[in-house]
Amino acid sequence: MTTTELSNRSDPIVVFTDLSVELTGYDRVELAGTGLIEQHYDTLLRLIGEREAGHLLQAAAEALDADRKNHNGEALRTRVIESKLYGPVIISLIKLWYLGSWYPLPGSYADVNGSTAGDVEHVVSAQAYREGLVWSAAGAHPMGAKAPGWGSWAEAPALPSA
Amino acid sequence: MHENLVTVSGGKSGSMKTTGTQTGGVQPSGGGKEHFDIVIVGGGIAGATVAKTVIEQAATRSPARHPRILILEAGRATAMSADKYDTYVQSYQQALAKVPNSPYPPTVSAPQPDVLDISRPVMGEDGTTKIPADNGYFVQMGPLPFGSDYARALGGTTLHWLGTCLRLLPNDFRMDTEYGRGVDWPITYDELKPYYERAEWDIIGVSADVGHQYYPGIGGDPAKYFKSKNTGKFPDGVYHFPMEEIPSSFLDEYLAKKSAGLVVTLKGDLGREYTFPIKISNTPVGRNSTPTPGYQPVGAVGNADQGQRCEGNSSCIPICPVQAKYNALKTLYELIVKYPDREPREGEKEKARVAVRSQCMASNVEHTQLPKKQGTVTGITYLKYSDDGSPPVRATVTADVYVLAANAIENATLLLASKAANSSGEVGRNLMDHPLLLTWGLLEDNAGAYRGPGSTSGIPAFRDGPHRSERTAFRVEIGNWGWNFPENAPYDTVHDLVGGAGTGTAQLYGRALRKRLGEILPNQFRIAWELEQDPEPTNRVTIDERYKDSLGMYRPVIHYDLSEYVRASLPWAAEASRQLFERLGIGAEVRRPEYKPGDYTHWDANDPSAVTYDGQTYWVRGAGHVVGTHRMGEDPEHSVVDGYQRSHDLPNLFIVGCGSMPTLGTSNPTLTMTALAIRTGDHIAAQLPTHTAAQPKEKKDA
Ligand SMILES: Cc1cc2nc3c(=O)[nH]c(=O)nc-3n(C[C@H](O)[C@H](O)[C@H](O)COP(=O)(O)OP(=O)(O)OC[C@H]3O[C@@H](n4cnc5c(N)ncnc54)[C@H](O)[C@@H]3O)c2cc1C
Ligand code: SF4
Repeated sequence: MTTTELSNRSDPIVVFTDLSVELTGYDRVELAGTGLIEQHYDTLLRLIGEREAGHLLQAAAEALDADRKNHNGEALRTRVIESKLYGPVIISLIKLWYLGSWYPLPGSYADVNGSTAGDVEHVVSAQAYREGLVWSAAGAHPMGAKAPGWGSWAEAPALPSA
Repeated sequence: MHENLVTVSGGKSGSMKTTGTQTGGVQPSGGGKEHFDIVIVGGGIAGATVAKTVIEQAATRSPARHPRILILEAGRATAMSADKYDTYVQSYQQALAKVPNSPYPPTVSAPQPDVLDISRPVMGEDGTTKIPADNGYFVQMGPLPFGSDYARALGGTTLHWLGTCLRLLPNDFRMDTEYGRGVDWPITYDELKPYYERAEWDIIGVSADVGHQYYPGIGGDPAKYFKSKNTGKFPDGVYHFPMEEIPSSFLDEYLAKKSAGLVVTLKGDLGREYTFPIKISNTPVGRNSTPTPGYQPVGAVGNADQGQRCEGNSSCIPICPVQAKYNALKTLYELIVKYPDREPREGEKEKARVAVRSQCMASNVEHTQLPKKQGTVTGITYLKYSDDGSPPVRATVTADVYVLAANAIENATLLLASKAANSSGEVGRNLMDHPLLLTWGLLEDNAGAYRGPGSTSGIPAFRDGPHRSERTAFRVEIGNWGWNFPENAPYDTVHDLVGGAGTGTAQLYGRALRKRLGEILPNQFRIAWELEQDPEPTNRVTIDERYKDSLGMYRPVIHYDLSEYVRASLPWAAEASRQLFERLGIGAEVRRPEYKPGDYTHWDANDPSAVTYDGQTYWVRGAGHVVGTHRMGEDPEHSVVDGYQRSHDLPNLFIVGCGSMPTLGTSNPTLTMTALAIRTGDHIAAQLPTHTAAQPKEKKDA
C-alpha cells in the first residue's frame, strides 16, 4: 500500500486494516508482513456478503475516527465489538487473523442476515494457516512451517514485544 | 487354490459397498504369470527393509546373487520428488483437523483408518456387541474402540510417525520367565542387538547419546546395555549412534531442574511400596542431527541437500516438511535409484532389480496348504486399480520367496481372507497398542511450548521393575507441543480467550488478547503415559462377509479391550503425574476456560475411549503402535511365525512387521520391528536359490 492509500481513511481496505490492527493488537506493518490483508478482506466480503461488510466497515470507520479524536477505543468497543449486529462478525474476524480459519457466524446472526455458502468452518488457505498470529503471540512458529532452525527449541523462549 | 480367491465380480458383489467410480467388475490381466525372486506385499518400512537387506546380503554371497524383487503397494505412489512432497505439506496446512492422516488422502480403493472415525460400539448387557461402530474403515466391535490408525500410501505409516527409536529392554524379551506375564520371545536382547545396530545405522538413522539413556533394568550402565560385538566398527565395543542426540527442549531442561531429586512412590498390591527416582532422559529418534564419524545423513527424497538436520518445524506428526525425519520413502527411493528394474546396460555389472508397483492391492495369498498341514505359497494375487471408472485388473505373480509386510492389521486380514498360515489359530489375535493416558498442566513459567520436535525426552523410570508382575510397565513421553494433543490448542485457547459464544461479543481482543496468549500458550505442557499392553487372544482382528470395501477386500473387524493387568496401571500413572505436578508447583486442579498455573488433567466419561477402573474414569488414546497379530514363537501350535518371521505353515512365506512381536514392552515398536526385518532379510538372502528370476532354472507355476 502506498502512503496516499494509507492516508485515505475512507478506502474500505484501509478501514479494514485499521480495524484489524485494533482487533489483533498487531500493528499495520506486522499485518502487512503476513501478506494477507487483501486476502482476509476478500474473505470477509465473500463470507458475510458485500452489503453487510460495507455496513460493518462504515460503522468501523466512524468508530475509529471517534476513537482517534478521543484517544481511546471506546467507540469501537461500544459501537462495533459490542454491537449485536457486528459483534459475531468481529469474533470470526479475530479468529481469521489468529488462526487462519473461518469460524461460521452463529445461527441467530444468520437468521437475521442470511448466510453465504462458504460460511462453514474451514482453513481459508495454507498461507492463512502459516501466517496465523497465534504462533507469534506464543513466541513460536506455525507447526509445519517457518522452521526456526536447528536446536532453536533448546534455547530460552522469547516473546516478540507486544 | 483358486477357491480361495476373493470374488469381486458377479454374484458375490451384493455384499460389497460400491463407491464413487468403482464399477465392481475385475478384469483378468492377459498372458502368463510373472515370476520374481521375491514378492513383497506392502511398501512401508518393513517391506523396504527386507528388500534392501536381501539385496545387500545376497550380493556378498559367493557367487553373488542379484535378486529381482517386486514390491506391491496398495496405496498411491507418494511423492518421490521434493516438489510433489510439498503438495502433501500444503494439504496438511490446509486441513481443518490436522490428524496423522491429514496430508495423505486415501484413494477410494485403498481405504485407511482415521482417528477422526473413532467411536464407541454399543455393547449389550452380556458383553456382546449390539451395534458395531463401523463409520470408518475399521469395524469396531468393542468394548473399547481400537484407537490407532495407519497410512495406506507408498512409504506407509512412517510418513506420519514421530520417529522415536527406543530399543526394548532385556526383560521385555522374557516377560513370562521374569514376571509370569505374557510370553517369552524366541530370541533375546543380546541376539537382537547386532540387528538393532544395523537398524539404527543402515535403515533409519538414529540420533542419540548412549550416556543419556537412563533406563531401568539394564544394571545402571547404559554403556554396557549398548556394548557392541562389532569391535571392528566400534573399538572395544563402545557403541555410538550414527548421529548425536537431538538437543533436549527448553521444556525438558525446565522440568529436569524442577523435578531434580524427585522420587515417585506408588502403592502396589498387599501394601507394597515401589519407588521410582525420576530422571529425564533424551530420547533416541529417527531424525537427522549432527553425524558422528562414518555416517552420512539421508536427506529428502529427490533432494538430498534438504533435511540433513532437523530444523524444528514442529510437525513431525503428521509430516516433516523437510524430511529430516526418517520415512520409508527414503529407503524405497534408494532402492529404485540403485537397482532399477531393467536389464543391465552395455558395460554395466549385473545387479539386483526392484520394481515398485503402487495401486496394487494384494487380495489373496495362493497356496497349497490343507488344514493343519504345511504347504507352499504358489502366488500372490493382486488387483491393480485406477479409480478412473475402469474396473481393477486382477493378476497373479509368483516368486521363490514371498513376504507380507502390509502392517500388522492388513497382514492379518490378508491371511485370514486367504485361509493361509493359520494352523495355530493365532492369526489376528493378541492385537496390542500402547494405550496412552494424557495428563496436562499450565506451568508457572514460560517453558517455550510449540517449539521443536514432538518430543525430545522422556522419563524411563517405570519401564521395568518388579511391579511388572502385578501391573503393566509404562513409558513417559514429554510433549513439546503444549496442549495440542489433549485440548486442540492453540485453537481452543484462542476460542476460550476471545469467547463470546453465547453473547456474540468478543471478551478479549487487540493487545490484551495478544499478551494473554503469550502468557498462556508457552506455559502449556503435557505428558503421555504409554502403557504396555499384554497379549490377549480376545483382542483380535477378524473378517466378516458383511464388511468389505469397494474393491471387495475384507475390512478389519476389531475386538479390543484392556486387561485388568493394563488397567491397574491407570491409577499409577495418574498418581505419578500428580506427584510430578505437585513438585512442579502446579498441583492445584484448574479447568478451562480459566487460565492459571495448575493441573488441567480431566477425563470425561462421554469420551469414546473412556475406561473405568476402581470407580475412576480415564481415557486412553491409541499410540499408533499396531502390534501382535502374527506372533513369533518356537511352537507352531501357539505362534504364526518362527524367530525369522517365517510362517510355520508355509515355509516360503515370511510375515514381517510389528505383528510378529509376541509382547510389546514400552518401546515404540518400529525400531525393534526393523531389527527383526533385517534378521529376516539376512536369512532370506542366505537361502535364496542360486538361479535368478530373470532366467528361472525351473518353471514354477501353480
Ligand atoms: C501417529 C503415529 C505415530 C507413530 N510414531 C511412532 C514412533 O515414534 N516410533 C515408532 O517406533 N513407531 C511409531 N509409529 C508406528 C509406526 O508408524 C509403524 O510401526 C510402522 O510404520 C510399521 O511399519 P510397516 O512397514 O510394518 O507398516 P506400514 O508403515 O503401515 O506400511 C505398510 C504398507 O503396506 C501397504 N499395504 C497395506 N495393505 C496392503 C495390501 N493389501 N496390498 C499391498 N500393500 C498393502 C500400505 O499401504 C503401506 O504402504 C507411529 C504410528 C502412528 C500412527
Ligand atoms: S521438528 Fe520439524 S524438521 Fe524436525 S523432524 Fe520434526 S518436522 Fe522435521
